[in-house]
Amino acid sequence: MKIAYKDLLNLLSKKPTKDSLSKKLFQLGHEHEVYGDVFDMELTPNRGDCLSLVGLARDLGVFFGAPKPFDLYTDNIETFDLDFENLSPFDCPKISFLEIEVNESKFDYQPYLENYINLIGNKKTNLFTDISNFVSYELGQPTHCFDRQSINKKLIFENKKCNGPFQTLLGTEINLKDLNCVFSLGNEIISLAGVMGGSSTACSIKTKKVLVECAYFNPESIIGKSIKYNLVSDAAHKFERGVDIDSQEYVLRRFARVVQDHVKIKSIKIKTFSSNSYQNLSIPIDVNKINNILGTSFREDECLDYLRGLGFGVSNKIKVPSYRHDIKTNNDLAEEIARVVGYNNIASSPINLQQIIDCKSNIKVKKIESLLTKHGFSEVINFPFTSKKETESINIDNPLDTNRKNLRISLKDSLVENLLYNERRQKDSIKLFELSSIYSKDTKINQQFRLGIIISGRLANNYNDFSKKLNYKYLNKILNNNLNTNIFEINEISRDTLSTKKKDKIFYVEVSLEDIPDNILSSIEDEKKAIDFVSFKPVSEYPSSKRDFSFLIEDLSKVDEVINILDSASGEIIKNLFIFDFYENNEKNSVKLGCRFIFQSNYKTLSDLEINDKALEIINPIIEIDGVSIPGL
Amino acid sequence: MSSIDNITLPPISNERGTLHPINQTKDYILALLAEMGFKEVHGPEIETEEFNFDMLNIKKTHPARQMHDTFYAEGKKNVLRTHTSPVQIRSMLNRNPPMAFTSAGKVYRKDDDATHLPMFHQVEGIYVDENVTFANLKDIIHQILYQLFGDNVEIRFRPSYFPFTEPSAEVDILSKKGKWLEILGCGIVNPVVLENCKINPNKFSGLAFGLGVERIAMLKYGVDDIREFYKSNLDFLSQFK
Repeated sequence: MKIAYKDLLNLLSKKPTKDSLSKKLFQLGHEHEVYGDVFDMELTPNRGDCLSLVGLARDLGVFFGAPKPFDLYTDNIETFDLDFENLSPFDCPKISFLEIEVNESKFDYQPYLENYINLIGNKKTNLFTDISNFVSYELGQPTHCFDRQSINKKLIFENKKCNGPFQTLLGTEINLKDLNCVFSLGNEIISLAGVMGGSSTACSIKTKKVLVECAYFNPESIIGKSIKYNLVSDAAHKFERGVDIDSQEYVLRRFARVVQDHVKIKSIKIKTFSSNSYQNLSIPIDVNKINNILGTSFREDECLDYLRGLGFGVSNKIKVPSYRHDIKTNNDLAEEIARVVGYNNIASSPINLQQIIDCKSNIKVKKIESLLTKHGFSEVINFPFTSKKETESINIDNPLDTNRKNLRISLKDSLVENLLYNERRQKDSIKLFELSSIYSKDTKINQQFRLGIIISGRLANNYNDFSKKLNYKYLNKILNNNLNTNIFEINEISRDTLSTKKKDKIFYVEVSLEDIPDNILSSIEDEKKAIDFVSFKPVSEYPSSKRDFSFLIEDLSKVDEVINILDSASGEIIKNLFIFDFYENNEKNSVKLGCRFIFQSNYKTLSDLEINDKALEIINPIIEIDGVSIPGL
Repeated sequence: MSSIDNITLPPISNERGTLHPINQTKDYILALLAEMGFKEVHGPEIETEEFNFDMLNIKKTHPARQMHDTFYAEGKKNVLRTHTSPVQIRSMLNRNPPMAFTSAGKVYRKDDDATHLPMFHQVEGIYVDENVTFANLKDIIHQILYQLFGDNVEIRFRPSYFPFTEPSAEVDILSKKGKWLEILGCGIVNPVVLENCKINPNKFSGLAFGLGVERIAMLKYGVDDIREFYKSNLDFLSQFK
C-alpha cells in the first residue's frame, strides 16, 4: 500500500522528517520501503485498520499528535426509503447507502484527487469511482458506487449459491460458483460484495446520480473470494482484514464532501440498515498484569497515556476503538504499550532454563551420518512432491502443478534424479544419501523415517581406485560386512528406462531406520565435528574439460619435486587435479605418473587454447626438470 | 642415487563426504539451544488443521489458511505442516510446566519462486514457566544471535503479528553492508494457546521463537540463492566439509 509522505504530514499536528517518520513506523511494527516521498507499506494481517492514511496517522499520533479531522459534508442529510433487503445479516451486520445527485459530470479534479490518482498510478475512471477509491485511501473503508438509474428493482444482499457468469466492472467475465455474498436485482447478480461490482450497474463519466454502498462485511465471508476468481481487489484486501464496524456514515459524509469540492450537489439522502448496535469492547485496567507480561515496571499513568495516544478511551476501563479488531486482552494492551515505548527500549532480563541435554533420539541418525560421510557420501535433501501416483500415495489437494500432486512413497526416484543430474555435470564418482520421512496411507496416514543410498561410477579419484568401480561389493562391505548384519538389501537399478548414455552400474539401498538395530551401529563413532561456516564459492554453470598427462620420471630423486609442483598448482580455472596413475617400473627404475587436470570457468565455456595454455603453465616447470619427461611430447 | 624402493608414494586423499549444509546449520542451532536447556521434540510433517492452525489460535479467516498458502492433502483432511509449532503443541499437551522444547524440521508453504521454496526448514523453541516475560525473551534471543553472529552484532526488535504470540516481534540484525536483515520471529505465547494446551494462563506464561534455517545458512555461508541448497549438485555440496 502506497502512502504519500506529504499526505501524512497534512494530517499530523507535528511535522516530522521523512526519516523520523520511517523510524517511528518501524518502531510501531509497520514495515515499509521508502521510494522518494512515498512509503510502500507492508502491513501485518491483524492491522486492517492501518490500511489507510488515517489508520497510520492514528498510530503515529502517539508521537506526533492526534490526526486532524477530515473535512466532512456538514449539512443535514435526510433519510430515504430504499427498496433493499439484507437476507444475510451475519455476513453484513451493517450497511449504509448514500444517494447523491449532482448537476454536472466532471473530469477535472481538485489537485488532491489528481495527486492521489498519480500516486497509485491508475487512470481516471469517473468522478464517483475515483472519489470512492480516494476515500478508501484516506479512511480505509471501501465504498461501491452504483449508477442510480440502473437500480430499478428491489436490491437484495445475500450469501447465496451461485452458478453462472458475472461481468465485473473491469470487463472481466468470471464464473461464479458455490456460496458468494452478492447484491442482486431480481435474479440478476450486480455485485460480488466486498470484492468487485458488476458492469451492468457501474458508473460512467456521464453518471450524475449515484447510490453509494458502504458496508461492514464479516471478514470470514469475503476471504478467499478475490483469489478464487483471480480478481485484484483493494476492497477485498481491506474487508478480509476487517474495516471499522462503526464508521459508515462518517465515511459517506467524507465522500459527499469530496463530491461537493468538485460539483454542486442537487440532492443527497442516506439510509442505514443495521442488525444490532455496536458496543465498544472494554478491558479492565490491570497494569500489574501488563508489567508481568513485559517484564517492566511502568506506572499506571504512563500506560494510560500511551493508550490514550493510540486512540483508546480511558476511564475506569480501557475502551477499545471500533477499528481495532485485534485488541481483546491484556496481552494485546501490553503489546500496544511496548510498541509506543519501543521494543528495543525494554531491557532484557536473564533467565536460566533447567539444563536438559537429551538427544538420544538422534544418536542413530548421527551414527549413520558419520559412517557415510567418512566413506565419502554426500547428503542430499529433496522435495517430497512427485507426479507418480501409487495406491498408497498421499494426494495434494492444491498442488503447485500436476507434476507435484502426490507425495513420494520412496526416496529412490529422487536419488536417481540426483545421480543423473551430477552425471550430466561430468561427475564420475557419485555417492549420495538422504534421510527423510516418507508418508503413505492405508486406513490412516503412516510415517517412516528412511535412509536411501545410491552409488555409481569410479570408486575414487586416486591412483589406487581410479580404475575400480563402485559396485555391490563396495556397498555391501560398508553396510553389511563392517556392521556385521545383513539387513541392508542392495539392488542394482537398471539404466534401461533412464535418460542417460552412461554405462556404470547403479546400486541402491533403502531402509527404514526402525529396521536398523541400535546395536549394529555401536562401533561407529559419532564424530562431533565443530561446524565451520566456510565461505561458499558459486558453482559454475559452464562445462568442465579434462586433460590427462603422463609423466615419465627417470630420476627418482625428482618424484617429490614433481608431486610438490602438482600439489601447488593453482589458478582460477583449475577446478581439480589428482594423480590417477602411479606406476613404479622396477626393471627400468622409473616411475610413470598420470595426472588429470579438470578445468572450468565460472564465467564462460573455456576454449581449447585457454585450457592448453593453463595446462602448459603447470607442466612446463615439470618437464624442465632433468630426468622428467612426457613421452611423445 | 634414489632407488625405487625408497621413493615416497603420493598421498591418497580419502575424500570425506558432507552433511547437507541445511542439516549442518539446523544441528548447530539445535546444539546451542540444547546447551541453553531446550529439549528437542519431534512430530509429523502431515498435520491436522486442528494442530497446525486451530490450537495455535490461527483463525479460519487468517490468510495463511487459504488454499494459496497452505498445501492441503487427502480431501482437505490434512495439511502439510506450515511450521513446526504443532510439534510443540503436541508436546505441551503431554507435559506440565516448566518445560522448554525445540522442534525442528521440514515445513511447507505453497510458494515457488526465486526467493521462496515449497519446502524449507525451521527451528522453533518454546519455554513455559511461571513469570516468563518479554524481557526474558529478549535475553534468550540475544544469546542465540550473539552465538550465531558474534557478540558485536547489532540487533533490532520490531513489533509483528503471529496469532500464537502476543506481544509478537520480528528480529533483525544489521549486516556488514548496513542493511537490516530479518532473522527470526518471536513473542510471548498467546494465553489462548496455553489454554488450548490445558495450561493455566493465569499461572504460567511462555516465550517462543522460530528461525528459518535456510535464511541462517545463506547468511553464514554466503549463499545468495536459496535454490542452490536443493539442486543436489556435488560441486555445491562438497564445499561444506
